[in-house]
Amino acid sequence: MEFEKKIISASDLPIMPSTIGTMAWNRTGDWRYLTPAVANKLAPCTWDCPAAVPISEYLNALRNGHVERGLKLLLANNPLPRLTGRLCYHPCQAKCVRRKIDRAISIQQIERFLADLGTDVTIEKNSKTDKKVAVIGSGPLGLSCAFYLGCWGCQVVVLDPRDQAGGALVDLSPEKVDPQLLVNEIGRLIRLADIKLETGVAVDFDRPGEVVSKADLVILDPTGLSEDFSVPAGAVAFNPFADKTVDSDIIAAKLPQNLKPFKAPMIAHYIGAGRLMARKAFDRLVMPSGQLRLAAPNPHLSRQMVNIEDIRIEHFLSSDLAERAIAKHGTWEWERALQEAECCLSCGTCNLCLQCVSFCPDASIRLDEDETAVTVDLDHCKGCGICAYECPRGVITMETISA
Amino acid sequence: MKKVMMGTEAAALGAKLARVQVVSGYPITPQTVIVENLADIIGRSELKAKYMPVESEHSAMASCIGASLTGARAFTATSSQGLAYMHEMLHYAAGVRVPVVMVNCNRALASPWNLYCDHTDSLAQRDTGWGQYYCADAQDVLDSILIAYNVAEQAFLPIMINMDAFYLTHTSELVDVPDQKVVDIFLPSYQPSSKLDVDDPKTFGNVCGADLFTSIKYRRHCDTLSLEKVWDRAATRFCDLFNRLHPTVEAYQTEDADVCVIGIGTASGAMRLAVDRLREEGLKVGSLRLAMMRPFPREGFEEAIANVRHLIVIDRDVSFGAEGIVAQELKAILFDRHGDVKLTSFIAGVGGKDISVETIVPMVQQAISGAGTAVEAGTTLWADVLP
Repeated sequence: MEFEKKIISASDLPIMPSTIGTMAWNRTGDWRYLTPAVANKLAPCTWDCPAAVPISEYLNALRNGHVERGLKLLLANNPLPRLTGRLCYHPCQAKCVRRKIDRAISIQQIERFLADLGTDVTIEKNSKTDKKVAVIGSGPLGLSCAFYLGCWGCQVVVLDPRDQAGGALVDLSPEKVDPQLLVNEIGRLIRLADIKLETGVAVDFDRPGEVVSKADLVILDPTGLSEDFSVPAGAVAFNPFADKTVDSDIIAAKLPQNLKPFKAPMIAHYIGAGRLMARKAFDRLVMPSGQLRLAAPNPHLSRQMVNIEDIRIEHFLSSDLAERAIAKHGTWEWERALQEAECCLSCGTCNLCLQCVSFCPDASIRLDEDETAVTVDLDHCKGCGICAYECPRGVITMETISA
Repeated sequence: MKKVMMGTEAAALGAKLARVQVVSGYPITPQTVIVENLADIIGRSELKAKYMPVESEHSAMASCIGASLTGARAFTATSSQGLAYMHEMLHYAAGVRVPVVMVNCNRALASPWNLYCDHTDSLAQRDTGWGQYYCADAQDVLDSILIAYNVAEQAFLPIMINMDAFYLTHTSELVDVPDQKVVDIFLPSYQPSSKLDVDDPKTFGNVCGADLFTSIKYRRHCDTLSLEKVWDRAATRFCDLFNRLHPTVEAYQTEDADVCVIGIGTASGAMRLAVDRLREEGLKVGSLRLAMMRPFPREGFEEAIANVRHLIVIDRDVSFGAEGIVAQELKAILFDRHGDVKLTSFIAGVGGKDISVETIVPMVQQAISGAGTAVEAGTTLWADVLP
């Protein structure tokens, strides 16, 4: 059956029925009921991180030897990693799938180790706009909110009536947080986001200073202000977790009961609240954030969590697992951190293991030419689902879309 | 050089002399000796071939098809249930036109379980498109494997060499072993017109619409019909080199015969002895061994029985609800002569029951006189059944 050339007599037929060339003409893709979707999903660690830090992504960068990229990913998504690396109750580790094999990845240790580096890195930011924001109070919520707004291009000034920045963090004992470390960490935050910090500033709304009076939006941070701080009459209480838009020029962040009063182990929740607050403020000030590619977009808002049932533990059990030495807190070396990162299973994130490629019976899922992703050949994929079943990381799912 | 050997050893030796390049097999009584012998031969480096110990007969045939498509000469051997398990792949092999040669040891099909001679296993595969040859003795086994490769590779069709379980597989006979150098002249290396080749990609056995499908099947049918002539030509050439003739039809004393006893396989030897006995009694009897069953050797058969008025067919097989399969074949061929030829069909020797002079003579007498112990069932007579 030679389809290139017209066959007009029986003598044109080859004795052995064969097609010259490939079978590509046979578009078996239209047999398909289910379509494999190759899409990275959030790992359970990231899904459960209150600050929405893309943990598996920066661990993946580390394991591939891209330390600076990993550090930038961390710093762009967590403005206070040296503090969370010490204070946070790390729910990420409680959800780590690696627990099914031996024990959770020491995410907090890696974060702390990584955060203690990186005094001079820079991160990706959006270009500056003319929008001015005053954040009053430099607690973790206010700093986080100011950080993201700064990264997204707003001109942000953080004002704090106290002489030392950090709000509720300043009141923690030196055993919990070294005062100098706090100063350095806030200093890095200010530098990374390209914002201003003014401490020891009397904030009086009856006689507002230049910063407040020229601001397009004023945000009051409950984690940065004492209880007796007099909230101005025009301020609107705003719960960042509520499904609401900002419709006032002065808003006072209002926290849910479980975050009041300030609890240090829940620092990531305050950082996450600040991030949500910033997002909503940005929507009012600049444009709906969906219309602009934001630096460090919140992964919680755009991606699904991987189905834990789809993580094929047996795949990892049969591969060579890295030896896992036990190191004491605070004694981590480079090698140790990288080794621990290598143990990450990359749940939900394609790391080009190519298990799908080797199992596809129709050679219909292939590594792209630039070797950065796998793509399904929808002209020929019959939708058998073997790739989705074999994907050890739950990246491929079978969807009922017709394509 | 002459040697005493069992039929299974003759089969393995035939494959060795054919210089097969791939042997893929799965053991089954009474075939096992063939693949065991070949494993030994390959293990001793007496034959440069790949031996594949697969997990089933289905895979044995599938791998022979694949091997043959790459241009290798492929061989396998099986029997009975194993052949039945291959069924799907048998159609495929003929359809994709691979010249695989397989030895089948004719053994009864279960149930009930029986290891002995019966032809139903291979005759039930007659519509798969394979050439079918039924051997008379161990020499025939060895020689016919060589002829089969020669024929199969000319016609691009697979050929099944059938040998009777135990009568042939496990009986030792004197066999004249051909010289390898002369075999190499008779059977040069396989040169396919088309094969799997990464440098010249082709797809075999792919999807095909009805228009081409019809023409492809038609052509295959014509090529299969031509096997009778191709075999006889190759057999003549073989005879020139080795002085042994293996025709598609083997006639004995049929020239002046009124009655002809017909069968396939080893029972043809007993039939010849019965012919001698009956001729002593004054009956003009001949006998005919149909060596080839697919394609049906129509020309040779019609010529051999041109003067015969009464055919007696002894089937070592049955198509339940019809009659013996060889008898059905003959009736189809004789349709135009049905007015002047009588055909009596017997079923005898199934499951390894001996077909001897002592059983053949009474069958012939019953066919002529109408009186005897064989029991009528439809259009056929069953011998050896309990009263």
